[in-house]
Amino acid sequence: MAEPSKHTGARTAIQASPLTNFVNHHFKVAKTTLRAQLNAPFATFFTCAVIGVALVLPILLSLLLSNLQAVNQHWDGSAQITLVLKQDVTALQGGVLSDTLSKKEHIKSSEFVDKGRALIEFKARFKFADALDFLDENPLPNVILVRPDKSFKTVEEVSTLKEILMRESGVESALLDVVWVQRLQSITQVLQKGLWIIVGMLGLIVTLVLGNTIRLAIENRKDEIVVMKLVGATHAFVRRPFLYMGMLFGFGGGVIAWFLVQGVIVILNQPIRELAHSYQSDFSLPVMDFGSTLILLIISVGLGWFSSWLAVHKHFDEIEPT
Amino acid sequence: MSFLTGHSGAGKSTLLKLIMLMERSTQGNIIVGEQDLSRIPKRQIPYFRRHVGVVFQNHRLLYDRSVFDNVALPLEISGMHPRDIGRRVRASLDKVGLLRKEKLTPIQLSGGEQQRVGIARAVVNKPPILLADEPTGNLDPELSAEIMKLFAAFNQVGVTVLIASHDLALIHHMDYRVIELQAGQLLGKSSATMDQKYFEGGDHG
Repeated sequence: MAEPSKHTGARTAIQASPLTNFVNHHFKVAKTTLRAQLNAPFATFFTCAVIGVALVLPILLSLLLSNLQAVNQHWDGSAQITLVLKQDVTALQGGVLSDTLSKKEHIKSSEFVDKGRALIEFKARFKFADALDFLDENPLPNVILVRPDKSFKTVEEVSTLKEILMRESGVESALLDVVWVQRLQSITQVLQKGLWIIVGMLGLIVTLVLGNTIRLAIENRKDEIVVMKLVGATHAFVRRPFLYMGMLFGFGGGVIAWFLVQGVIVILNQPIRELAHSYQSDFSLPVMDFGSTLILLIISVGLGWFSSWLAVHKHFDEIEPT
Repeated sequence: MSFLTGHSGAGKSTLLKLIMLMERSTQGNIIVGEQDLSRIPKRQIPYFRRHVGVVFQNHRLLYDRSVFDNVALPLEISGMHPRDIGRRVRASLDKVGLLRKEKLTPIQLSGGEQQRVGIARAVVNKPPILLADEPTGNLDPELSAEIMKLFAAFNQVGVTVLIASHDLALIHHMDYRVIELQAGQLLGKSSATMDQKYFEGGDHG
């Protein structure tokens, strides 16, 4: 970069880009604020911890929800209606019925499973199936496995199909293996509504706690604020350190929340896996990846900024030099 | 350079506050540097104040910062580059004779020195107007005279200086215009010599 000349150097320096000065100033304020907070590590930590703990529940819930929704969206390929045939229906009749069904509208495929074959598969899959050898005859019924095509997306539609198929002659009963999906959907809906309530309330807690902390800080630095205003500081200049303070608390709270959430996920995942396994699902909560960590930090810093902005907005007008 | 005198409650401080927009006038116009103060919107007040240096009786320094940082405050506020701030602050401290104490905190200074830090802060921006409210209120006569000389020096280089003071003996020694207020009214302008009458009246204190 070319300096104009040594003599005019001073003058050009004074006229240095306002933007550069502005950025420098912001950087300096952020640094000063950080240092001031680190000088009182315990107070800072406790404020951050309150925010962190308050953030954990909404984060966990939203993680759970987004993963449940993923489960909801993927179930449809596996929807299957099991038609249990009456005992007096022969294998031949069953095969014919299966063929007829497969030609019907909305049915992708239909497969007849002979009870003899079912027994072999059953024995192959479960150890205790040897117990079946003690029975005189095969207790398993002939079944037809019906898969609806993709036009059926919701549990309700598939259920209607199940009702219709139950009325076919020779069908004893019909099982729809998606009751758990149905339950999951209603649980998800409850959680979704609950999430917003919890987010609202805990957001309020963070705002109140931070607002109070910032208010005390403003109170403590009242003289400084007055002096600054007397020598020509704008509102923006005076409130800047407090906004940085809020953002800093928000960031600290976000980091603490991150660690807490990771810990909770590790602890909870074992029972969650066991529960999911009982529903033939390998569902589990993933630990927070880079994207969700980033979102967490942006939200927590934003919340910090907003809270301190509110506090500053409310208390600054009361401080005027007299 | 003028002095503003009058009993306490006469309106000296109020006049200074009006000039630096700590108070707004309810009626009439105040014109400073061809600018009607009643027309300055609230948001513009900070920018106006950057052209008015103010010295307070109780110094109003920030005690958790060094002398240097105290004096640098107005420059920082106006967004000056740190390198230029250093130069200007040292020049200003040099003028008030405190160059070697820039690293101390105001607490470590005497009353007179603290007041000089206040003056350095008021002039570091090179404002065309310098106001002082009882700048020698807490100082002994010798220090007071020194401070007044400092103000006179700034006046010499073209700064308009207005000092509110009830230190009549001191004012008397200096040959500057004296504006006397009583109950918010301008009593009359008098030179220091004419002010003799006031002393003879002997009704102050």
